[in-house]
Amino acid sequence: MSRIPFYLKERLEEVQRRVLYESYDAQKLPVWERIVLTWILLFSFWIVITANTSLDNLIIGAIATLIIASFMRDMLMEDVRHRGHLIEKIVYFLLLYAPQYLIIMAFRLIESNIKVAKNVILMDINPGIIKIKTDLHSDTGVTILANSITLTPGTLTLDVSKRLGETYLYVHWIDVETLNREKAGEKIKGDIEEWLKKIFW
Amino acid sequence: MIEYMLLAFGEVVMVFGALGILRFPDVYTRLHAATKCDTGGAMTILLALALYTDPSVFIKLKLLLLAFLIALINPMVSHAIAKGAYKYGIKPKVVVDMYAWDNP
Repeated sequence: MSRIPFYLKERLEEVQRRVLYESYDAQKLPVWERIVLTWILLFSFWIVITANTSLDNLIIGAIATLIIASFMRDMLMEDVRHRGHLIEKIVYFLLLYAPQYLIIMAFRLIESNIKVAKNVILMDINPGIIKIKTDLHSDTGVTILANSITLTPGTLTLDVSKRLGETYLYVHWIDVETLNREKAGEKIKGDIEEWLKKIFW
Repeated sequence: MIEYMLLAFGEVVMVFGALGILRFPDVYTRLHAATKCDTGGAMTILLALALYTDPSVFIKLKLLLLAFLIALINPMVSHAIAKGAYKYGIKPKVVVDMYAWDNP
């Protein structure tokens, strides 16, 4: 153990920590929880789209969305963390996580609009393409993180690559401040990644 | 009162986005202007409409759903355009290009 190089040792310790703490969270949810979560999403979408709360419409919608949810259960809920009870998950998401994310993204979107307007007027741009590392590993989590990075001020995601079990993002930054990977990642991702790690593994 | 402020903010942001598409130097920086200003402007205008109109609650929910779908689809499309432009061979005018280091 003492003869392996320093960078490999660090990497190995990180992998061991991940196996120790995250292998339980990375399991799939039970089948009925996946079906119920997908069913809630699809049924609320049905009610909003049809705009009709009569009883027969609700019954038709419930049956149709239940059939679709039982087929499509792996599509949306595959990467959710295996933690807590179903009702706990729903209540936490509706009362805590969703308002938090909406408030963070709303202020960042307004800030990015003002920053683009400032860049258009003054033309003080200094663009570059930076590679940053993320701690997320699931497909849904990386997708939402990349979309959030695109909407935050001054950054645009170009590509995602997975190498040796780690995920990297290539980000086009309109005003490069630092080339250090950790500092750039902290500046670009902010607290969105901390938020996403509570839900997706 | 707040809906007029939101509407004015959305219009100003859309104007600056169009100006940015004209003024920035290459594809990627123009995509910055297009994505951010279109998403922010359209979402603020839809939010103002959802606050301003009062037919029923379902119309407001439909407008909010439209805003959510715009926020979901717009960054994805810009990501697809940026990656397609890079794969097509358009070189970005940048100071540092780590994507070209890793994909020679």
